[in-house]
Amino acid sequence: MTSSNSQRAVGDALKSFERTITQDRVDAYAEASGDHNPIHLDESYASTTQFGTRISHGMLSLALVTEMLAINFPDTWHNGGKLKVRFSAPVFPGETVVIYGEIMLIDESDAGLIVTCSIGCKKPDGTNAVSGRATVPLE
Amino acid sequence: MSTPLISIAEVGHQFGPYNVTIPSVRANAYAAAVGGDESPDYGDSLAPIMVVAAALTELIKDLGLFSGGLQTVHAGQEVNWVRQIKIGEKVYAAGRLSANSIRRGNHFATVSVSYTDSSGTEIGTSSSTIIVSGEAS
Repeated sequence: MTSSNSQRAVGDALKSFERTITQDRVDAYAEASGDHNPIHLDESYASTTQFGTRISHGMLSLALVTEMLAINFPDTWHNGGKLKVRFSAPVFPGETVVIYGEIMLIDESDAGLIVTCSIGCKKPDGTNAVSGRATVPLE
Repeated sequence: MSTPLISIAEVGHQFGPYNVTIPSVRANAYAAAVGGDESPDYGDSLAPIMVVAAALTELIKDLGLFSGGLQTVHAGQEVNWVRQIKIGEKVYAAGRLSANSIRRGNHFATVSVSYTDSSGTEIGTSSSTIIVSGEAS
């Protein structure tokens, strides 16, 4: 276990960050994921949908959340990490979101210490676009 | 317009396997979409969520969710990952419709996916829940 992991405690906030979801980021994510749904890319089409304009991919918001987990748990998130989230609201291009997390529980298992975190992606109005929980081995 | 698979598929329906190997050009696009000053250096590795997203795109196509008139909401996502993967490493995604119900005129579908490497070893799983409205009754 790294020294930073050994010092973690319930209630600790994870290192968070902000990201402005530009249309350029949405376009790049479409290339990365292969999801070229016009609701993300075509303003004239998107204006006819329930949202009235283009929306970011929900998986882009989730990707940012997993980025935050990789920053906080660089040795273990991609080797045994788990998450479960719900998507509650769309993110519109131009919005700046806050990616956050907090340690809720630290458990000892047969495989070692496991941390459970609340995680999310918060919109400028304070509502969650994505929220849920992640579990990450600490060693 | 043909009937989208989401309207007729039964629980247990299998999808794929899809080849969701991620080449460097797509990894670079992912970095442009997600990255920032504080991002970790993945080197020649991938964020596994990218493989999940690639599989989800294939599932959405096969379920017919790009069909005109359908309104699709990605409601929930679960991901479990066993090990880091490399850019260009062969990864295959096999899906299974694990729930498919209609409530108040909306379709609620959950697809579970198993990811395997070239040796057939499972390296991750995911589960996506999708709500679809606007289907012809």
